[in-house]
Amino acid sequence: MTELQRLRAAFRTALDLPADAPVDDLSYQDNEKWDSLAHMSLVATIEDEFSVMIDTDDVINMSSFAEAVKILGKYGVDVK
Amino acid sequence: MNLLHPDARVVDAATGEMLTPAMIDVALPPGERGPLFMGMPTTVPAVARYLAALRLGRPVLLLDPETDQTSLRARYTTTDVHPDLALLLTTSGSTGDPKLVRLSRSAVLANAEQVAESLGVTGDDVAITTLPLFYSYGLSVLHSHLLRGATVVLDRTGIMRKDFWTAVDEHRVTSMAFVPSQYEMLRRLRFDPAKHPFVRTLTQAGGRLRTDLVSDFAGRMEAAGGRMFVMYGQTEAAPRMACLPPSHLAGKLGSVGRAMPGGAFTIEDGEVVYRGPNVMMGYAETAADLARGDDQGGVLRTGDLGRLDDEGFLYLTGRLKRMGKVFGVRINLDDVERQFPVAAVAGDDRIHVFAEGLSADEVRALRTKIAEWLGAHFTGVDVRTIEVLPLLPNGKTDYRALEASL
Repeated sequence: MTELQRLRAAFRTALDLPADAPVDDLSYQDNEKWDSLAHMSLVATIEDEFSVMIDTDDVINMSSFAEAVKILGKYGVDVK
Repeated sequence: MNLLHPDARVVDAATGEMLTPAMIDVALPPGERGPLFMGMPTTVPAVARYLAALRLGRPVLLLDPETDQTSLRARYTTTDVHPDLALLLTTSGSTGDPKLVRLSRSAVLANAEQVAESLGVTGDDVAITTLPLFYSYGLSVLHSHLLRGATVVLDRTGIMRKDFWTAVDEHRVTSMAFVPSQYEMLRRLRFDPAKHPFVRTLTQAGGRLRTDLVSDFAGRMEAAGGRMFVMYGQTEAAPRMACLPPSHLAGKLGSVGRAMPGGAFTIEDGEVVYRGPNVMMGYAETAADLARGDDQGGVLRTGDLGRLDDEGFLYLTGRLKRMGKVFGVRINLDDVERQFPVAAVAGDDRIHVFAEGLSADEVRALRTKIAEWLGAHFTGVDVRTIEVLPLLPNGKTDYRALEASL
């Protein structure tokens, strides 16, 4: 799997979405399942999947799929 | 009821809107009778409406704003309500169990005072909402701060968002209340009270927090000159019954504290029994029950098992019934099993549900259905498929085996 596929899968798992749900345009504001509990599960899933430890500021700034791609870049994970 | 101290302030973190006496005056038409069914979002107008109902002596049923009120309205609409009745709360998030807790004006006020005294709340305190106001713990934060003329900042974003922490700093928040799952989040966020120098008080209630996290957060607060309080309660006690003050936290680790001022615990046949001025009038299961007076006489059998040490500190050891807790809300596991063809066991702030021979899609669908029925967050329900449910020789589900498989 590519990094992009792995990140999509992490979002689907954490936000309890079907396996074929589009996630690339997801953002915190417009997804009702993405609340603070789901957010914690999302961060945990991403950390496990990519073996990274995400800083507090990045955790609270990760408000969209696109933002997650950008943040992972800071940890040396090139999502494409 | 004088819950609202004249100096108390309520402010919306996102909009800056402030509660004014005039808002309360016009929030509800006077003269109407019967319970007010009220979805309670975390907004200034909702707080105004709630306070108006209390002032007018109209019992108010606080609900999740997402809850469909149709069946509750059909069940509880009446104009015949007991004059002492002030507040009605659901016993769990479950729409499957429409039983209500009846709280009197004096019990609500007594517990606001008990909590304010236990925590030493003053007019200089600033609390921020971290829990829904229709949930008894969230509501008690509002009550105990309004009573002492403190400030309550209304936030709807939650602790995993930057806006929340910006509000904490901008409004100089001094006090925050969390349930166990939120302490897990704070640990992940590597919460450092030194970065929020006005925060002095953390409280914990809504279920058992593992002792290593209690010690961890108590240590973080102490290092920054602050305090952490562990508390214990039930909606039936409006809701707080016990508080473990910071001075005893290390020595009594694992205890939920001593009885609230004016309250007392006894252990009767292993069960924790609480007596105090904050105990409910009783439950309601029909509209006619809303006219009932006090059925409890200030005595609450908690359904929790526990022991008291010789200094009166309470340690909880289990539940009489098979209960789980999901994000601080009690779940009767037998109810879940009556509603769905599953076996349910309690986990750490979640329930684990086993069903036979499900596909991945069926697992997800069942999880959504159970969570919706419970009115709980989906992450609090773990559904697993199993070939055959293990049985004991007597034909009953072997819960030990299921727990061991987790």
